[in-house]
Amino acid sequence: MGLTLVLGFVSCESLDVEPKGFYSDENFYKTIEDAEASMLYAYDGLTQVSYAPVTYYLTELASDNCIVKPDEGADAQAFVNWEVTSQNQLLTQYYRSCYIAINRANAVIENVEGRGFNENDENRLLGEALFLRAYNHFNAVKAFGLAPLQTSLIDKLDETTASLPADMQVVYAFLISDLERAINYLEVNRVVGRVDKIAAQALLSKVYLFAASAKESGVPKYETILESVENLYAKAAQYSGDVLFNQGEYSHDLNLQNIYNVEMPNGPEHIFILSMDSSGTAEGDYSKLSKYFIPWIGGATVYLKNIDDSFSPTHDGWSVFQTTDDLFTAYNTDDLRRNNLFVSEVFDETGASLGTTGDGVVAYPFTRKYIDPNFEGDKTSTRPYLLRYSDIQLVYAEAAANAEGLVQYNNIRNRAGVSELADLSGLSKEEFRQLVIEERQRELAYEGDRLWDLRRTNTVQAKVTQAAGLSPEAVAFYPIPQREIDLNPNIN
Amino acid sequence: MNKQNRIWLLSAILIVLCVGTINAQINIGGVVTDQLGLPIPGANILEKGTTNGATTDFDGKFQLAVASKKSSIEVSFMGFQTAVLQVGDKTTFTISLKEDVAALDEVVVVGYGSMKKSDLTGSVTSVKMDDIPSKPSNSIDGLLQGQVAGVQVITSSDDPGAGATVRIRGGSSLNGGNDPLVVVDGFPIGYAGDLKQISPQDIASMEVLKDASASAIYGSRGANGVIMITTKKGAKHTTEVTVSQQNTFSSFTSDLNLWRDPVLMAELSNESRINGGFVPLYIGTEDANGVYYPSLGELKDGSWSYNTKWDDVVFRSPVSNNTNLAIRSQTDKTQFSLSTTHFTQEGVYIEDDYKKLNINLNVIHKLYDGKVSVGGNVIYSKGDRTNNSDLAYWRNPIFPVYENNDPTQDYFLAGSQDYSHPIALVENRTNTNEFKDFIGSAFVDIQLLPSLKLKTQLNYKTGQSITDYYNPKIYTEDGTFNNGSGGINNWDSEETVAETFLTYNKMFNEKHKFTAMGGFSYQYYEARSSDLKAYDFLNESLGNGNLAAGNPEKQTVANAYTETVMYSGLGRFNYVYDDKYMATFTMRADGSSKFGDNNKWAYFPSGALGWKMHQEDFIKDLDVFNELKLRASFGISGNQGISPYLINSRYGQDQYYVNGGWQTAIGPGYVVGWDSQTGKKTWGGIPNPDLKWETTRQFNIGGDFAFFDRKLKVTLDYYNKYTTDLLRERLLSPSSSYDKMWVNDGEIENQGIELTINGTIFKNEDWSFGGSLMFSKNKNEVVSLGNELSSGLTTDALTGIKYEFSGSTVEAFRAIPNILAVGQPINVFYGYRVDGIVQSEAEGLAAGLTGDLAQPGEFKYVDLNEDGVIDEDDRSIIGDPNPDFIASLNLQASYKNFDISMFFNGSFGQDIFNTKSFGEAGNMPLRWTQDNPTNSYPSLRDGRTNYMSDWYIEEGSFVRLQNLSIGYNLNDIDLPWLKRGRIFVNGTNLFTITDFKGYDPEIGTDGIYWGGYPKLRNWTLGVEFTF
Repeated sequence: MGLTLVLGFVSCESLDVEPKGFYSDENFYKTIEDAEASMLYAYDGLTQVSYAPVTYYLTELASDNCIVKPDEGADAQAFVNWEVTSQNQLLTQYYRSCYIAINRANAVIENVEGRGFNENDENRLLGEALFLRAYNHFNAVKAFGLAPLQTSLIDKLDETTASLPADMQVVYAFLISDLERAINYLEVNRVVGRVDKIAAQALLSKVYLFAASAKESGVPKYETILESVENLYAKAAQYSGDVLFNQGEYSHDLNLQNIYNVEMPNGPEHIFILSMDSSGTAEGDYSKLSKYFIPWIGGATVYLKNIDDSFSPTHDGWSVFQTTDDLFTAYNTDDLRRNNLFVSEVFDETGASLGTTGDGVVAYPFTRKYIDPNFEGDKTSTRPYLLRYSDIQLVYAEAAANAEGLVQYNNIRNRAGVSELADLSGLSKEEFRQLVIEERQRELAYEGDRLWDLRRTNTVQAKVTQAAGLSPEAVAFYPIPQREIDLNPNIN
Repeated sequence: MNKQNRIWLLSAILIVLCVGTINAQINIGGVVTDQLGLPIPGANILEKGTTNGATTDFDGKFQLAVASKKSSIEVSFMGFQTAVLQVGDKTTFTISLKEDVAALDEVVVVGYGSMKKSDLTGSVTSVKMDDIPSKPSNSIDGLLQGQVAGVQVITSSDDPGAGATVRIRGGSSLNGGNDPLVVVDGFPIGYAGDLKQISPQDIASMEVLKDASASAIYGSRGANGVIMITTKKGAKHTTEVTVSQQNTFSSFTSDLNLWRDPVLMAELSNESRINGGFVPLYIGTEDANGVYYPSLGELKDGSWSYNTKWDDVVFRSPVSNNTNLAIRSQTDKTQFSLSTTHFTQEGVYIEDDYKKLNINLNVIHKLYDGKVSVGGNVIYSKGDRTNNSDLAYWRNPIFPVYENNDPTQDYFLAGSQDYSHPIALVENRTNTNEFKDFIGSAFVDIQLLPSLKLKTQLNYKTGQSITDYYNPKIYTEDGTFNNGSGGINNWDSEETVAETFLTYNKMFNEKHKFTAMGGFSYQYYEARSSDLKAYDFLNESLGNGNLAAGNPEKQTVANAYTETVMYSGLGRFNYVYDDKYMATFTMRADGSSKFGDNNKWAYFPSGALGWKMHQEDFIKDLDVFNELKLRASFGISGNQGISPYLINSRYGQDQYYVNGGWQTAIGPGYVVGWDSQTGKKTWGGIPNPDLKWETTRQFNIGGDFAFFDRKLKVTLDYYNKYTTDLLRERLLSPSSSYDKMWVNDGEIENQGIELTINGTIFKNEDWSFGGSLMFSKNKNEVVSLGNELSSGLTTDALTGIKYEFSGSTVEAFRAIPNILAVGQPINVFYGYRVDGIVQSEAEGLAAGLTGDLAQPGEFKYVDLNEDGVIDEDDRSIIGDPNPDFIASLNLQASYKNFDISMFFNGSFGQDIFNTKSFGEAGNMPLRWTQDNPTNSYPSLRDGRTNYMSDWYIEEGSFVRLQNLSIGYNLNDIDLPWLKRGRIFVNGTNLFTITDFKGYDPEIGTDGIYWGGYPKLRNWTLGVEFTF
């Protein structure tokens, strides 16, 4: 007990207890395995319920592709009606989700560079992290315009008040620099749910294309980008060309169904597909995307007819994202993407029809892009398609707007069973690009790109009647969330 | 026996030994006893005016030689009035000492020591268990109810083994906890509310340290007040065996308000669904879930005749049993106490049981003529709980228990998704908890010098708990969804507290009395838990007995570990001048691993002054006061109820599916909760190096008064508690990737008055009658909730009051009823106002209502801001769940060996949000209809959006006869083997006077009434024999 007296004099240094039940900056990032786990955490940021599904509220609801079910909350209606305010919860979710994923990417960058890991590992991890940092920033830029650029890991209170970048030139220079570095660091190395060099090239081509068309079409703030429109298109064509012509890993999938087969996330098209699996324990690990796109059909299992007349089961859904007539009628009646990728009739397990869009049993024709016949309850493996080969084909077509581009454009139409465009004669570059954008709507519907296409071509108000009367700024950018303005003295 | 007396005694013995035998002229002798005739060993006999004296032996006998017949002897013993006798011709004396009713020298336990009650400068209330006999309670919290002004004890649950809510002088924290610290024999073992390890039978006294002067010695754990518990030690110079047995029989205080008439129930259900635009249920078809609901006709003509009283199926009249066996013994050198308590409690639900065994062994041994004492205490406690406290007594009466009401057949299940069949659950599911606790402490007490004492105490406590559960494939939702689910939760904690302190005690010049104490404390705490779950079982016969039998791909494990360390230095200085003027200063420094690097050490000073005015001649001359003492104190104490590790960065963990399998993903950002509005994860994990304790400054002024030979005693206190640096979560900008971070920001004030009046109204040899009245008024105010923006406060549209919601959403209202509002008491209710019921659509529209809400039979919400529409801006503060004051009255009477006591408890002025004001069997028939255009109740309409409104707020004031006890003491029974005995009957919760419409108004501090079942009334029969 004399010990007690002694203990009384022990210095306060021993007042620090090491955390033993969780990881922190004190015990993590010691090994390459730690860095790998941290890399996966950055990918995992994309699977958040506040991010992956919310993407479609912005990109599909606010565009001419979808409307929302009537009793979805006011914040969701606001996207359809173009009444999104800085208070919108979904908008805030999306915004902060971008930055959560960014901070996780920054954690990798800061803790991998110069740690003495194997150079191949270091390069690969750095490349992936830089890609993700750019990818998430690009999402923020597409949604909010001038949004904070987080260039380093935030782990202290005084680092939590970022400023806005000066202009779009700064923003795009940052995005381009990250992606150029990523391209340098990365090799071609396909892993489902992760990215490689090709993904970085693909994303960079999209960044250039966005800048090119936005500057060309007079989208506010894009006039500050220094590079000429021509050069921006050329760069977009260059990097998308790298994807199309300089690698053999990814390719155009001739089978339309395969692309959306939930069993084939490693199909030739998928340059970057988010990895989710129905064996997960929490939403985000597994996916409920199907529930958002499929209408409510009595709460039971329904069967969808496949092109070989077999049937695939699926749960029904919540009717959240409902197909517009604009989208459905954008397809020719012989378009395979309409006839094979939309569902207008459902069946029971014996193959007897339960009803159609005609009799109202199926509230609207819904997409087959998010169907998992192996669903368990609400749990599915349906994955967001983040970068698809066809997308890059159309990027190239639009950027090059020449004969080579036409080949890619026709490639896409061919697969869909619709007529090819014989040549570019009589078409200006602008007119051809217009055709490509229309093709993008049909090809990439429900894949989270439509609003961005409308925004960068400054055609939101032409296509979405609800956006009429808004200022060019309000059309081009959502407001920075009020919560950011309230809590960040550097932004007002 | 306190230090001063012990020193005095020691010196007296020495003097006797040296001097006593010199001048032997007259030898006298005799025996000293108490009023009952029991011998008093160790009493002092002193020849007056000399140093000649003696002490009584074990049998109370003494021998003394005095100078002459004219000598007087003075006989004294602590706790008794000193007797003075002329020797005269007698040589043999039988001296019966009277107990000192003044009890001025009563010793009370304070932090790290004890002191004479009369020398107290702080606000300390002492409760001697002997004063509250035969109050059955299985926890210490229940014993405190109504005993101490300023202490509120709420027992809102009748679940077996349920704890209580204990508040001393109101709540001063939002997130740091408001439970007082409990110190048992010097060991701070935890916080009040659920201290199951200490049996009430083992407690000798409890002291409640209320003001900062008393509680600041416990520093960063003292802000909520401190309850000091002293357990029973050895009996006085004898060996006693005590056996006590209590049996408690409980029943509901009122009938359950359930549907007894299925026809009426079905009619109203149909009416409600039709009004809501739904297909009615009772039409003789199956609903969407495949449950057949008979038509009204079938119910009326008896072709569907089931009318199950589910409450009879689910509830029982529970019986509890409490057996205590104690052996206590004391010799000159050793005292020991061994006590075992076995307690079983039945819940009011069938198969809902609680069982507990406590063993408490205490030994103290004196060495070296009492200069050194060593002692130890061991408590072992184990118990278990079988939990069935969620059975559906509210189940639809048209469903029989078994198919065709035949107990030999299967359970009658309402469709495939019926998860509330009580018998099926009781018979098929597992939900049990087992706990074991061990508490041990050892001390050495060394008298280094006559005035200097060293005490070292080492305390250790460990606790384990295991919860087992299994949800079968049918009957439970979790089990159905997962094809059987089971699990085990383990929890294990360990705590060590080592303390050493020196006490110096000295009187100078007979007028200056100093006591100084200084010491150190070290505290280490660690807790571990693990959680094993398995799903998808092939064979259910083992339940959760073999979790490995679940589907290997679906097993989950989780575990957690926390560790905290605290070092403290502490000191106290007491000075009494001339037994009139008193001053106390205390200081404690706490260094805790929970505090941020920039605030590692916290300092908690206090000071107090006291003035015994009754020692002044000008007061004595008044001849009114037996005691008149004024006290004033000021001090700072803290609340360190912070989760550990908030000062560390904390990474999150998830999994990502790569290469056909799940891989662990780790990085910055950690899920700290779920947003109440969006249901999405909220992210934290950013460290706060400035994080620290909450600080409470408390000012107290009070007085102790006694009149009429101390037959009337009054204690009055005013306090002001001001708490700053409230532990709260601040919001961070979303671009930081974090949502929240713990900070110290916000202020709360509590101020109040406490009054205690004790009276002995009448007393003679046979009769006595007395009582005590306690009154406490506390006013609570949220002064600040920190920075408006970083706290994310909302502004009330009408008043501009800044507020935030507090608590969780009440589903039926899709609203959080309580708010924390700047300038208001904690947890006021926030919502709409209702002005009767809409009688016509025109009236509804005129009131600003639209659509369904404007229809006749709807609530007429008030357009408070008069902007023509009813919207969120029409909400305002509509009630306050904090009582204006609480009061209690204890009355005691005795006649010879009979005694009777009554204890009334009351709480006044609090509001209750009664979620069951409408929609229950009792009030649905009172609905608005075209034929009954009432203004009191709305129409029945399924799917109505209920808004949180003052229509649901009721006044919750009540007065309860909490306790009535009648006892008979077997003192005079001439049985040589029986020392004492007592037989008693005790009733608790006998009647309640209240206007509240629910079952019982004694509910949680947030004031939300959830319904449930009536409170229990308990009758206890008890016997206690001491041999």
